[in-house]
Parts: sequence; structure tokens; C-alpha cells
Amino acid sequence: MTACPNCRQETTTPLVCTACGVLLSPDGALSPFEVFGVEPAFELDHAALKRRLLELSRRMHPDYFATAGAEQRERAEGNTAELNRAHEVLANDQSRADWLVRSLGGPDELQERAMPQAFLLEVLEWNETLDAARSAPAGSRPLEQLAALRAELAARRTQALELLRGSLVPLPPRGSPRLVEARRELNALRYVERTLAEIRALELGQPAARA
Amino acid sequence: MGFLQLNVLNQVEALPPVGIDLGTTNSLVAIWENGRPTVVHPEGDNGYVPSCVYFPSDGPPIVGKEARERAVFDPEHALFSVKRFMGRGLADVANDLKGVPFRAQSGKNGVIEFDVRGRKLTPQEVSALVLEKCGEVAALASGGRALQKAVITVPAYFDDAQRQATRDAARLAGIEVLRIVNEPTAASLAYGLDQKKQGNVAVYDLGGGTFDVSILAIEDGVFRVLSTNGDTHLGGDDFDRCLVSVALTELSHSVDPRKLDEPAFLQALRLAAEKCKIELSTYPEAEMHIQIPDSNGQWRRRFTRDEFESLTKPLIDRTLDCCRRALSDAGLEVAKIDEVVLVGGVTRMPAVRMAVQQLFGRVPHTKLNPDEVVALGAAVQAHVLSGGTRDVLLMDVTPLSLGLETVGGAVAKVILRNATIPCQATEGFTTYVDNQTAIDFNVLQGERELASDCRSLGKFRLSGIPPMPAGLARVAVRFHIDANGLLTVTAKEQSTGISSRIEVQPQNGLTDADVQRMLASAYEHAKDDFAARRATELVTEIGTMLRATEKGLAEAKSQLDRETILDIEDAMKNAREACSTRDAQALQRSRDAFEKATLPLAAVLMDNFAKKALTGKVIGDM
Repeated sequence: MTACPNCRQETTTPLVCTACGVLLSPDGALSPFEVFGVEPAFELDHAALKRRLLELSRRMHPDYFATAGAEQRERAEGNTAELNRAHEVLANDQSRADWLVRSLGGPDELQERAMPQAFLLEVLEWNETLDAARSAPAGSRPLEQLAALRAELAARRTQALELLRGSLVPLPPRGSPRLVEARRELNALRYVERTLAEIRALELGQPAARA
Repeated sequence: MGFLQLNVLNQVEALPPVGIDLGTTNSLVAIWENGRPTVVHPEGDNGYVPSCVYFPSDGPPIVGKEARERAVFDPEHALFSVKRFMGRGLADVANDLKGVPFRAQSGKNGVIEFDVRGRKLTPQEVSALVLEKCGEVAALASGGRALQKAVITVPAYFDDAQRQATRDAARLAGIEVLRIVNEPTAASLAYGLDQKKQGNVAVYDLGGGTFDVSILAIEDGVFRVLSTNGDTHLGGDDFDRCLVSVALTELSHSVDPRKLDEPAFLQALRLAAEKCKIELSTYPEAEMHIQIPDSNGQWRRRFTRDEFESLTKPLIDRTLDCCRRALSDAGLEVAKIDEVVLVGGVTRMPAVRMAVQQLFGRVPHTKLNPDEVVALGAAVQAHVLSGGTRDVLLMDVTPLSLGLETVGGAVAKVILRNATIPCQATEGFTTYVDNQTAIDFNVLQGERELASDCRSLGKFRLSGIPPMPAGLARVAVRFHIDANGLLTVTAKEQSTGISSRIEVQPQNGLTDADVQRMLASAYEHAKDDFAARRATELVTEIGTMLRATEKGLAEAKSQLDRETILDIEDAMKNAREACSTRDAQALQRSRDAFEKATLPLAAVLMDNFAKKALTGKVIGDM
């Protein structure tokens, strides 16, 4: 960690000095872990993450710099945007895992498109139920079947997250084959999330959103 | 607040930053004072500014309560509910136009233009007039202090174009916008500070024209929005329309359909429907009645609350769907919601309260005035932004996903809905043809998969890319949503470091040049308006002078020489003619000439009066 240019205290985030409150000017792309001042890891204390988000927001939110000069206002705006982005990546299990796999030199979703073998068979079965629901008119969707499918997918998501944890805890070394496994589970998870979003959309009559 | 500070009227002293709820039906100003937010209102007035503008045949536009009254009798020259048109294109508002007595057309960049008495106005300009009126009301309430800085609220589900339009309206009104804040979020601030409570709160905000629901976590003074959902075209107006359409159907059997289509009739029908709706919130039955066009008869129809509720059930169901989506996005079960706060006048409807209660499984909080809570919350935020306190922090979200159109018409999402703002994200793009020197970007907002189903916020072209084989250029497109929820997009070609420019064509929005032009034209209008007002005053004054002169001549003609009489008659003729032109300058000239010509007459009359007085005949009159 580096020292604050203002008070010389050691900083815990590249965005703001938590000792004297001065806004820092980070350079280059920031690691979300670095922003929150924690070591990169898949396991994460969500309650601590939220506390830290609120603590840092309290120090640098643009609302508190509205009467400051343009330069300070912009820095508060930019740094808070960085903080929120980093929180977004860390708070979600998949985006956190995705970031770790990439940063350790693992494949991205275009380099490794496969899903785990067992998973593919399940997908075929789910698709049948989904197709039936998709083609049904809005008023007469098979809501019970959709609810059952939703429960099944939720269970599969929990399972996939466990497998993902198995691949990423402890953090594998760069280039480890465990990163490929992790990517495959992430692909499966992405499918599950998208399908869950579509089920929700079918149930609520909302246009599907890409998860 | 009152008239105590009237003595400072001549000095332009500024008010501290205020909060303004710029509503579909009413607008309201609130200010932080003595440690709490209060509604700004002059003595004997509630401070509500109906968001209605009336254009008289001459003189400046009339805004607010008087405009709403004038609109009843002359709806063709009034504009209201313009919030529904902010940042929209003509195609978006076809339905809204059916329910209002005014017409609109598409202007530059697809911005809507209303045409009243030959004057073309955008929704931004009409909203600016409402905001100026808010400023007048605030000045009246505060001893003449000027409203210069404000936090202005918008529906949470307003997209970028609608937010931009709101900001432009404020610029046109000469108000510096400290922040654009989402209405339900503002309401939660007022609620949270008033009740000093913590936990998860759902704000259900059903206003005149828009519906929002936001789920928040309140913790140690931090108001964090977890998710928001809504419909910018669902509000009290739609509930009125249910009654209007029953009336039109039933009347169509006996009345000429062209008569039913007349603006004056439709406006009367809207008002009758609104009155009936409000009565049904208090009584189990209410009567809607209206004068049948070209007839002495009245159409009378009793509605029971049950009937009204079944008519409006589809509308209420739509709000409940939004609530379910918001809960799902927040990742919370209904049981985790500790309080439901109701905002907006329509939440006084028993059916709405019951539906919300059933969905959330708890009695909603109704202690705060649903019509004022948004403005009060905006005042709290204005206080925070002026450095007044660090005890409160608002963390809001962007309501809709943002992305770029990709080859093939799909959407690449760059920022997902419900991301905490301010936020930013960068996406990489490349060329797909050899020696391609420019890339066109289409910025999209919405949740759908296809670009054609999302709203295009604007298109821009990144040019000046040096020629190179396809796929080698590295273009980074950066999206930044600021704390107002407003988007800026920047793009940069990275492989060469050559800086490239971006030209954004706003869709349904005003450019800076448009705003400058409108400000200049508003100034011209203000001059015209001043001249028109002066002309009216002069016509009245000349009328009084004419009557007095006729009376005087009848009494004292014999005492004047022939030339003087001819001068006076000449001046009278000129003055009468000037009155028909309504030209302020001509009126002023003939008034002055008239006055001069009548000086000898006035002298004789004064003399006569003095003589009579001295002989004691009119002592009682002295």
C-alpha cells in the first residue's frame, strides 16, 4: 500500500484517504479487491463488504462535494463510480469468480465455451418445459411447471456455486486446469441465471433481460 | 414564512437551495428550515402550483391555479400533463394525446411541439414556465427571495432522455439544478427522517401520470436503493380515463360523435371523471354528471366503488407486477419488507391501499401527506448538497440497463439496471472491415434483447481511426452515469493513441444550441408579453379618459373655444383608433396626445368646481 500524499498515512484504498479524507487520484485499471482493500479470494465476507461500501461512500460520495470546486466534484464522482463498479463485481458470486478466472490467466467465455457434461443432459430436459411455456399465450402459461422448473434451477445454481467454490478455493495458481473447470461451471451458471430470468419474465409478463 | 421580510423586496437575495417536485398534475417547492423540511407557501395558500399553463389572447401565459381555472372554460388554449411528453417522440405519446384537448407535432430531433395560438412550445419550455411559477410562489412566500438553486425530482423510471428534458426545463427557467433525484427515493428520505426508522422499505408512488416502486435499505442514515421499477405512463390520469371511456361509450348512442370529440367537452368530461374518482375514495357511490353537447340535458351516471374498482383493476394489477419485479431484483422476499410507504394522490384510493396491503402482507404507512412527501424529501437532499449535513447519504440506482447495438441488431449491455450510481463501465469494440476509419454507435436503454425493442438515446460516430486490418483497432467505449442518473458516453481508439471525436445526436432531446435559442426567444417573448400587458393597461386607461372627457364636454363645451374643441375631438378619434390596434407604442402616443388636448378642458372643469365649492353648493363633497 502507498502513502497518502496529503497526510502520509498508509492508504487502504486507492480512492480516498480514510485517515484525512482527501480524495486520491488512482491511475490505470483498478482491481475491485484493491478498491476495497482486501486480498483477492473467492470467499468473501458479504456483511463486511457492505460495511466497507457504506464507509467509503460516506467519505467520497459526490453529494458531499457539491459545494467544492469542479475538479474535486469530478474526482468524487469518478471515484465513487469506481467504488460502485468494484462493489458490483465483488458482491455477485459469478462476477467475482469471472474476474478471478480472468485475472489468473484463465479462459474467458469465448475461449472456453463448454459446460460440464452432466449439465448438458439436464439442459435438454429443461428446454422442453421452457419451449412449451414460451409458445403458450400469456394468459395460459403452465405456471405450476414453471415454478417447479424454477425450484430445480435454483437447486442446480446452489450446486454449481459449490463446484465453483471447489475450483477456486484455495485460489489456484496462474494457468491451473482448475481455471478451465471454473469457467465451465460459470458457463453453466450463466445458463441457469438466464433461464431463471426468462422464467421470471414469463411468470410476470416482463420482457426477458439478459442476466 | 410570511410577509415579514417584505422590506428586502428590492434586494435580490437568494433562497437557500430548495427541493422541487415537478409533478404531472401539481408542482411543489419545499425548503430545509429550522432543522426540518417544510413546504414553501405564501400566507393563505397551500403553495401547490398546478402544472398547467394557459395562453390568453394577449398578455403573458398564465401558470398554476388560475391557468387550471381558465382551462376549464377554454381548454384549447391550455397545456397540462406535459410531463408525459418530456423526452418523448410523437410515436410514444399517441395514446396520451387522445386524452388531452391539445395537439402536438414532431419538431427538430423528434422533440414534441405543442401549438397554442400560433406559438410553438416544447414540453421543456412549458415545464420551464411551471418552474418559473414555482419560483414566483417561493419568492412570494419568502419576502421576495429568488429561487436560484434546486433539487428537482423525476420518476425513478424516467430514462435518460426524460431526465435530460427535465434538466433543460430548469435551465430554461434560469434554475441551477443541484441534483435530479428520483421521486420515491426523495419520499423515502422524508419518511426515514420523520420516522427515524431502519430496515427495508418499499415506496409505492402512484402519481398523476407515472408509477414507481423502489425498494430501499435504510441503515444509519444511509438510504440505499436496492431496486426500482415502474411505468412512466401509468397514473391518476389513466384512472380518470376509465370513467371517461364509459361516458363516451354510453353517450355515443345518442350524441353526434363529432360533438363528443370537441376539446371543450372532453376537458369537462375529464374534470367530471376526476371529481367522481376522488369522491369514490370517500363514499361507496358517486355520481358523474356532464352537460350533453348541444342539448339542455345532463348526462348523469352513478358509479359504485365496486364498479370503478373493476374498471381500474387492470391498472392496479400493472403496478403490482412492477412491485414483484422490484422485489425480485432486490433479491428480497415480501416478508423482508419492514414498511411500505405510499406516495402520490392516487394512493388515497381504497382499492390501491388494499391491493398494496395484500401484496406486501402489511398495512401501508399513510401518516405522511402523499402529495407533499416528495418535495419534502427533495428539500432534505438540497440541504445535504449545500453542505448542511453529513448525517444523510442517498445511494440511488439507474432504473434501466444501458448498452450498445451490435452487428445484427442485438444489444450488448454495458451497465445493468439497478446498478448503484454514479457508476461507470468500459466495453471494448473493434472494426470488422479492413481499413475501416469510423465506427457508428447506437446507445440503447432498456431490458430487451433486440436494439429495435430498446430506446435509442442517441447515435454517435467515432471517426479518425487510422486504416488497419479488421479487428486490430481497439476502441474503448466508456459509459458513465452520474449521480443525477444522466449518461455520458466517450469513446477512444487505443492502439494508436490518436484521439477521436464523438458527435452525439440527441433523440427527442434539445441540443445546447436549442436551449440557448429558446432562452433568447423567451427573452423576446417576455418583451412582447410586457408590451401586450402595457397595451391592455393603456386601453383601459384611454377608455376611462374617453368617458370622463365626454362627460366634461357635455358640461363645459360652451366655455371652450372652437379650436380646443376640435383638438379634443380629434384626439378622441385617434385614441379610439389606437385602441383597436393594440400597439403599445401607438397607444402610448395617442394617450399622451389625448391628455395634452384635454388640458384646457380639465382647467375649465377645475375652475367650475372651485367656484361651486366657494359658493357652498357642494361643501358636502369636499
